[in-house]
This record gives sequence, structure tokens and C-alpha cells, in this order.
Amino acid sequence: MKDSFFRSMTWLHTWVGLIVCWLLYLIFFAGTLSFFRDEITLWNQPAIHNVQAQTQRIEAQKQQIITGFDYLASHGANSSSWRITLPEPRIPYLIYGYAKPKEPGQRRSKFENTQLNPNTMQELEPFVDTKGGNFFYRLHYDLHYMDAITARWIVCFASFFMLIAIISGVVIHKRIFKDMFSFRRNKGSRTWLDAHNLSSVLALPFHLMITYTGMITLIFMLFPYPAQTSYDDGMRGFFNDVTPRNTMTDKAQGELPMVPIQRILDQVYTKWPHADITRVQVNQPNMAASTITVLVSAGKTLRDQAPRLIFSGATGQMVAKTDDELTSSKALYESLNSMHTGRLATWLLRWLYVLGGIAGCVMIGSGCIMWAKRIRERTKNNVKPSFGLKLVEGLNLATIMGLPLATCAFFIANRLLSPTTAERADKEILAFFLTWLAVALLALIKRDTLQWRVMAAINAVACLSVPVINALTTNGNIVSYLMHKQWALFTFDALFLLFSILFFIQTEKLRTAKNNSKIISPSQSNNLKRQKP
Amino acid sequence: MIDLLGFSLCLLSFNCFALAKYNHFKDVFKKRPTESQRKKLLLAAWISILLSLVLCIVTQGGYGTLLFCGFMSLSVLIIMVFYNFLVGYVKWFSVLNSVLVVLSGLFLALN
Repeated sequence: MKDSFFRSMTWLHTWVGLIVCWLLYLIFFAGTLSFFRDEITLWNQPAIHNVQAQTQRIEAQKQQIITGFDYLASHGANSSSWRITLPEPRIPYLIYGYAKPKEPGQRRSKFENTQLNPNTMQELEPFVDTKGGNFFYRLHYDLHYMDAITARWIVCFASFFMLIAIISGVVIHKRIFKDMFSFRRNKGSRTWLDAHNLSSVLALPFHLMITYTGMITLIFMLFPYPAQTSYDDGMRGFFNDVTPRNTMTDKAQGELPMVPIQRILDQVYTKWPHADITRVQVNQPNMAASTITVLVSAGKTLRDQAPRLIFSGATGQMVAKTDDELTSSKALYESLNSMHTGRLATWLLRWLYVLGGIAGCVMIGSGCIMWAKRIRERTKNNVKPSFGLKLVEGLNLATIMGLPLATCAFFIANRLLSPTTAERADKEILAFFLTWLAVALLALIKRDTLQWRVMAAINAVACLSVPVINALTTNGNIVSYLMHKQWALFTFDALFLLFSILFFIQTEKLRTAKNNSKIISPSQSNNLKRQKP
Repeated sequence: MIDLLGFSLCLLSFNCFALAKYNHFKDVFKKRPTESQRKKLLLAAWISILLSLVLCIVTQGGYGTLLFCGFMSLSVLIIMVFYNFLVGYVKWFSVLNSVLVVLSGLFLALN
């Protein structure tokens, strides 16, 4: 540790940030995309592109559930579980699903789903096998190709480091509030410092909130001790206690026909006259122990767990429900959770979350680049750069330019892979990681301006390819989306075009910077080359 | 419309905060602000930002504070762009911002 508070904090900020910055970049990048996970899934499934959102969505729910029960009674009579997922504003289609028998070694049953257009009640074309936006959502905290619990511990540590870096950053960047609106262009590492400060300060409340609440979402994994000491069966007992469960009829034996679903719905609408039902689940249908769980939207309340009522399927009696009024601790936990996910945010707030996420990516990326640039500037001409510097520069190139390219590869693979390909969803993900690996290998070999320029050009072409390939492989394109007011699809394609333009501008900037360096003088040229990211 | 009023108040507030700084004021008006002008700008900025916060919380409930934080981020970004890349347009932008506050406020008052 250094000898003064300020120097200690600078040391802490630099090293705490540098150690985890590439992982944090991935977490922020995937997390930012996850705010649009439903829209990404929509784009990845051409079968639902033309499904229009219902105008009388809530009014139609009762009939959709009744029809669903008839459908499931005839198709999944012997199944252990049924599920009716109702259309939501961002997920415009209806799903009737029943569990298939478990195969050996399987932990959970797979569902046989039938997707319907809620406007016509016609079955939709078969869905392609894709993870869609859920891939980025899980990548955000489960990473990939590793055990989920290990990954979550790693993500938690990175978040903790991020929190330290944010707080120490506020301390060391003394002028961040004074120079809040200042951005000095073309000033070498000073410009990168301004970009770092500006992206940090403009979304500082967001950065603090998202990092802190991110750790809270995994608090029971990080800090299980109170629950472990209070419950005989530890965390399982704790979760059973806070999640409504059927303890009244769960031991009942034998078969019993289920009561008509109207009786259940009448009770739901008596309790919540304007209920926006999101899902109905049936466990052990046609058995004496069967339960029917009705989940409703929490609306605008800061609540993560959907309010639900659980009924006995055999008697129609309500056997459990979520609390109407949450205890202080539960309300705090749920509100922090829902703040992190922004699950119930309006479109405006969702875009503002994305702005915060992008600011986070810029903050982390500019921090990484700034460290490397400063060390480069300090390294004398005749001294070979250290392994550490080369490693940081390589990781910067691989992460900052590799992730956007890998994302494009994921979407291009979604359109180009045949719908009949075995394990298609995994192959889309493989395309993502192989592309990222290729960029990392390139960064291993060389990492100077030329490589950044090449990567920017490839990213520009890849971003342009996404809407073009979409137009060539589906019935829609950016113009038709605009004409038919399919805003989610239009925005998706438009964003890729915008990023394509931004990457072209970056390519040009890097080219002109290189040309300028050739025109001036050899010594200045060397100096400039060293300053390039 | 209530969101527009909340956002335009927040934008106005950061515009006033920026103008209260000597360098930005000088960039826009080619002279240094007097102490009285600075105090008035700061007062307007604080009133405006508090109004924006209250509006967000009153209308959005739990998500209001998050919306307010988002408005702050967007406002700082817009102000930064204008004061660093489009200084010549700051006066027009300030007028437009004030008009937006008045119009959205009037619309809400009349409906």
C-alpha cells in the first residue's frame, strides 16, 4: 500500500479495476443486451414476427385459459405438468405446454409446447431451436461452459471489485463533478480519461445501483448463514418458507378429476378484479394432489416474485397464496431484485437502463485502454514492452472488439443454420464463442492500430450483414417492419445499421490517424503509434 | 407528457448547472458570469432538478427514482454533447428546452 490515502485509493482503483475489467465488460455487455431479451428472442424466432399484440389482451385471457385446459386435457392427459403461458406486451404469443416423460439422467422434464397466435388461435409455424435473448441473460451471471454456481461466485467477486472501483474512483477523480460536462478531444490519454470520467459520472447512480443490486440478487448464495442457522434443513427450508406451497392436499393419493377451471378463475377475479394473468400451471393433473397455480403480473410495484394463488385441482379450494403485504425484509429484497432486472420497467425506463449499461461498457473499456496507453507512453522507444502490457493490450482488443463481433456471429448463425440442425441452439452459441476465440487469437499475434482498424472494419461489415441476412432469409426486412409498425424488429435492425456506421467511422478515424502519423515525421510517427489503443 | 415534463426539467437543471460554470458560460456568451448570475443559475438548477425528482416519484411510484436517474444520465450526455461539440447551438437549445418545459407544463395543467 502507498503512503497516503489518495495514493492508496489510486492504487486500489487501478488494480481492482484492471484485474476484473474484461470480465466486467462481458457482464455489462451481456446484461445490457438482457434488458431486451424478449425482443432478441422475438427476432430469433421468425415464426412470431407477424404476430400482432392483442388490443384486448387482458379481456381475452379467461377464454384463452379455458381453451388451453381443453387442449391440454386432450393432448397431455397423462402428463405430470401443464403450463399455459399467456401473451404479454413484449411476448405476443400464447403457449400451451405439457411435460414429456423424463428421460434417464434428466433432472427436469422437457415441455412439449404448442405456440398459438392469440388473435386467430391458429397454431404458429414450428419454432426454431434457439436460446434467443436468454443466452445473453444467462451469460450475464452464469457465464458459459462452466458450473453455474462457480460462475456466480466469480461474477459476485467481480461485482464486489466493481463496487470498490466505483467508490475509489469517485475519491480519486477529484474533478469528476467539476469537469462533469467537459470532454477534451484529440488529447491522447487525457481524452480517454475524460471519456472514462464522463461515462462514469453520467450514470453513476445507475452503476452503483446495478452493481449493488446485482450482488443482492445472489445474496443467499453469498451469505447463507442466517438461513442455515434458523432452519433445520438450511436453505431448502428457508425457500420453502418464503415460497407459497400446497401443504394441505399434497399428500392426497389416487386419481380425482379436476374441477372446471372457471371455478378457479372466478375466485381469482373475485380477489383481483383486474388481474393480468401471466401464467397458469397445473401439477399432477387429474390426481387428488393436483394443484393449479395462477400467476399474475405485479404491475408497477417493485416486486420480483409474481403474485400467485394456488388451488387444489381436485376441490377448487385455495391452498396457498403470496402475501398481499410483504414483510419489510422481503419487500426490500424484492424491490432491490426488481430494480436490477428492470423486469417491469416501461419502454422509456428500459431504454434508460440500456443507456446506463452502455455508459458502463464505455467506462470499463476506456479504463482498460487508458491503463495500456499510459504505460505505452511511459515506455521508452528502445525498451521492449512488458508481458503485462502486451497481455492487457491483447485482452482489450479481444474483449472490446471481439464481443460485438461474436454477437453478430450469434445472430447470423441464427439465420443461416438450418432449422433441422441437431442441437441448433448450442451451435448458435458455439458460433458466438468461436468468433470470440478467433479475435482473441488475432490479438495474441498483434495488437496495434492496424489490428484495431481491421477489427473495426470486420465489425462494421458483420453489423451490416445482420439486417441484410435477415432480409434475405425471412419474409420481412427493415422497411417492411417500419411499414407494418413492428417496432421491436425495426429497432433491432436499425441498431445494427447504426453500429455498422459507427464501426465504419471508427475504421476511418483509425486510418486517418495512421496516415497523419506517416505524413509528419518518423519520430512523431513513432510517438503516435505508441499512443494508439 | 408527464415524463416529458420530468425530463425537460432535468435537462433544464443540468443546462443551468453547466452555465453556472465560468468556462461554459464564457464559451456560450463570450464573457464571464457575474456572481449574481451564477447564484441565480444554481438556484434555478436546484429547483428544477428537485421538481423533476418529485414529478418522477409522484407519477411512477417505485420506479420513479430509477426513471429520474435515467433522466439525469441522458441529460448529462446531451448537455456534454452541446457544450463540447455544438457550442454555437447552446442558446437555441436552451430556448427550446425552456419552451418544452412551459409547453409540457401547460398541457398537463390544462388537461
